[in-house]
Amino acid sequence: MEPGVSQVIKSLLADTDIQRPIRIELNFSGCCDSALCLRIDAVSNSDLSLESDGLIFVIDPATYRLVGEVTISYVDRPSRKGFVLKSSKPIGEWDGFGASSIKF
Amino acid sequence: MEQYKLFIDGEFVDAASGNTFETIDPGTEAPIATVAQAGKSDAENAIAAARKAFDKGEWSGLTPAARMAKIQDFADQIAQQGLRLATTESMNTGQVISLAKFMPLVSITFLRNLSLAAATKFPWEEEIPVSGNAFAPAREYIRREPIGVCVGIAPWNYPMYIAIWKITPALCMGNTIVLKPASYTPLTAIIMAEAAKAAGIPDGVFNVIAGPGGELGEILCTHPDVDKIAFTGSTEVGRQIMSLASGTVKKVTLELGGKSANIILDDADMDLAVDGATFGNFFHQGQVCSSGSRVLVSSKIYDEFLEKMKKRAESLRVGYQLDPISHMGPLISKQQLATVENYVKIGKDEGAELITGGKRVEATGIKGGYYYAPTIFANVNNKMRIAQEEIFGPVASIIKFDSDEEAVEIANDSIYGLAGGVFSTNTARAERIAHQVRTGTMYINNYHIFSDYCPFGGYKQSGLGREFGLESLHEYTQVKRIHVNSMADAKTNMNFQLLSDYKKVDGFGYNCPTGVVAGHGALASISKAVVDLGCRRALILTDPGVKKAGLAELVKNALADFYVGMYDNIPSDPDLETVDAATAVASELKADCIVSVGGGSVMDTAKGACVTLKSGGKANDHLNFLVLTEPQTPHIAVPTTAGTGSEVTNVAVLTSKSAGRKLFIVDRRIMPDVAILDPRFTMSLPKEMTVSTAMDAMTHAIEAMTSTMANPICDGMALQAIRLINENLPLVVADGKNEKARLNMQIAATMAGWAFTIAQVGLAHGMAHTLGALHHVPHGVACGIVLPKVMRYNVDHSADKLANVAQALGVNTSGMTQHDAALAAADAVEALMKKVGHPMQLREVGVPEENLPICAFHAIADTAVLFNGRPVNDPNEVLQLYTQVY
Repeated sequence: MEPGVSQVIKSLLADTDIQRPIRIELNFSGCCDSALCLRIDAVSNSDLSLESDGLIFVIDPATYRLVGEVTISYVDRPSRKGFVLKSSKPIGEWDGFGASSIKF
Repeated sequence: MEQYKLFIDGEFVDAASGNTFETIDPGTEAPIATVAQAGKSDAENAIAAARKAFDKGEWSGLTPAARMAKIQDFADQIAQQGLRLATTESMNTGQVISLAKFMPLVSITFLRNLSLAAATKFPWEEEIPVSGNAFAPAREYIRREPIGVCVGIAPWNYPMYIAIWKITPALCMGNTIVLKPASYTPLTAIIMAEAAKAAGIPDGVFNVIAGPGGELGEILCTHPDVDKIAFTGSTEVGRQIMSLASGTVKKVTLELGGKSANIILDDADMDLAVDGATFGNFFHQGQVCSSGSRVLVSSKIYDEFLEKMKKRAESLRVGYQLDPISHMGPLISKQQLATVENYVKIGKDEGAELITGGKRVEATGIKGGYYYAPTIFANVNNKMRIAQEEIFGPVASIIKFDSDEEAVEIANDSIYGLAGGVFSTNTARAERIAHQVRTGTMYINNYHIFSDYCPFGGYKQSGLGREFGLESLHEYTQVKRIHVNSMADAKTNMNFQLLSDYKKVDGFGYNCPTGVVAGHGALASISKAVVDLGCRRALILTDPGVKKAGLAELVKNALADFYVGMYDNIPSDPDLETVDAATAVASELKADCIVSVGGGSVMDTAKGACVTLKSGGKANDHLNFLVLTEPQTPHIAVPTTAGTGSEVTNVAVLTSKSAGRKLFIVDRRIMPDVAILDPRFTMSLPKEMTVSTAMDAMTHAIEAMTSTMANPICDGMALQAIRLINENLPLVVADGKNEKARLNMQIAATMAGWAFTIAQVGLAHGMAHTLGALHHVPHGVACGIVLPKVMRYNVDHSADKLANVAQALGVNTSGMTQHDAALAAADAVEALMKKVGHPMQLREVGVPEENLPICAFHAIADTAVLFNGRPVNDPNEVLQLYTQVY
């Protein structure tokens, strides 16, 4: 996580009583090009997990093999607001372009 | 291995950085070409080239026909490269060759069809026949002009075809374009650049830069020299593009994701529906944004359909894309394969039932490749992620429904709205459903049909704007309105006068086409009038009083065989419902001509009926100013009063119950075609009505002269009207049977009508309208009572005109100052009123004193007051006038 990201996530989760980890997964939001996204989800037995700054992230092994290490940042500008996920093995040419919210 | 370069400003160049990337065949995972990888500076160079080319005008300045000719050359060059394009497209995208071989053909026809439409059907210039602004006469027209530099961002599923969707309208409409193909599939775009160069498309008009969207996206979407962006891709990226483009307010069209519902009704042709659902899901491996990936099946046929669709899906051959027997090729990439697998896992985890597929496939004789079996989930709930999120792969979700209403509800329960389908043997039923689904395209008994002239695009988060068709051509132009003032004179410009103390309108247009026939026995001309108007079926409109007096019968006899009926239920102060009733009778009788026999109420009702009969709808639909563009139902007016002048005026005054006041139709096309002034028709008019209607005419004439719109032609009409009234009203009051005097009164009313219909009226009419609306004071009575006071109120602004009025009223003004002569005119009017027994005070006609303040506030808002010679801004002044005549 880039600096400041964990605070944003904790702030978003503060008003909920959700205790589940945050999954990094492949998501398709329409016509061409999947992207990585964050989703509050249950853990599955085969998941890889990582604890960072009090937050637990999970990812399924197949996805991890595909995308590699994932960097999460947060932007808050008029033209771009949300979480930006980039991976060491980019998922597509628009990797890191869009910003998204955490899906529940 | 082949090497492909960027195409910028007419040249094939390496990337500035020297970087390249490989593009692969997804069927074998083997690289097939290297491509120059554009970076930020290459994007800037391409944009600069496009900007220069646009501004130079070499392309944008061509006529649409000349551009069409060049685009035809471009299409021919694509045809020359057809085989290379088809095989390259197939190898690069995984499109089966049986599909890819059509790509050059559909691209060529798209270029030819759209350029033809741009040259022959597109409304580059359009006259606006009525502007909707009554205060600024002008020629109004619009021009549609190119937008400028366009950026086209194409996806990897149909790289050639979707690139053409953007290149074609951009070029047809005179723009220049920078095309960024998807990095997976850049090759056919670059080959098309070769075709463009060979065709002689000018340098810089068409540019291609291949490179990662993540790096190029921001510069393409924020560069100040880019005017428009057309993007096809994911909703997440599209959202970001829209956001970036907003910084410089670029025009954006987006074609994004979909999760379209294909609805299979219980009366569907089963084989057709199974094939339609199969095609809608597995065509091009499901990598189509408009895929019908939610298959909604009626519970009555669910089991049978599922079984047949499973069998049909399992019969599809998944193989290498260049093998002509393959039905489905590979997915585009390992990332896409992983995404599809991920969703299949999600579907299972959510509890959907996997019926078939759900696994990778090996293509016969091929090592590697991203092949996936056609997959069907049954018993899907529309809330599941596999029903809500686009998978973009060969995965169909079958959802059961019970009723048509439930099917529509499920179909609309999506953030997307790109396409959809209905399968049914009942077209009416299918169309009813199609109309209710909120989506940009609905197919009935078909799927995935793209047609050059038929718009394509999404509702909701599926996108903005449309591709294909004239709609797409509009997306690449902008609209400029040109206003050419008809009266280029500062002293005729009512708008400029808002910042001026000069309130008169000097220039004018005079157009009073009514043919007048006047004299003893003039009624006999009516049948010839009907014939000259090209009519054969005349309906008389009249009121009960006129009918009872036998006057309507005279007209009926004069019409002879042209008479088809009579509507005699018109009250004084007619309302919109009266007009609708008269129109209904006219329609039922197939009347082609309206003959109004009566006073202003009847003639105004007739005007309203003529418009409503011609244009349809209800009278309330036509309460407009200056919007009619063609002649209305012919109207012959036979006035039975000498007052309103309605037989020649361009206004119909009608009461609107819902508005609580009188509203108007104003248009020169509602002026009656013929006015027949036969004095027999006013001989039986009672004295009180004779006097009050005469004062209405007098007020028309005097106010026309003192109006801000007064002009010499109308002044002449008005003065003669004033003379005639002054001389003949006492004669008629003394002897109602004085035919010559009666005729002169009719002529006076008509001339006063001509005067005010052009020059307008003023405060006296505003005050009279109010008294009529709030206290039902007859219009002429109200006009007469307030007129002299208003004349004195206006004296400092209209002294010259009122002095002329005084002379017309027989006042000897020699030796008087103009101011005194003007005041003498008001005195003369009062004297005339007393002489003929006209009411002089509002208390005589039952207006309560305590209501005068509200009358003042009402009157000041009347339209007529806008034209008063003296500006009226203070309701207290109006109250004072009402008080003076109370």
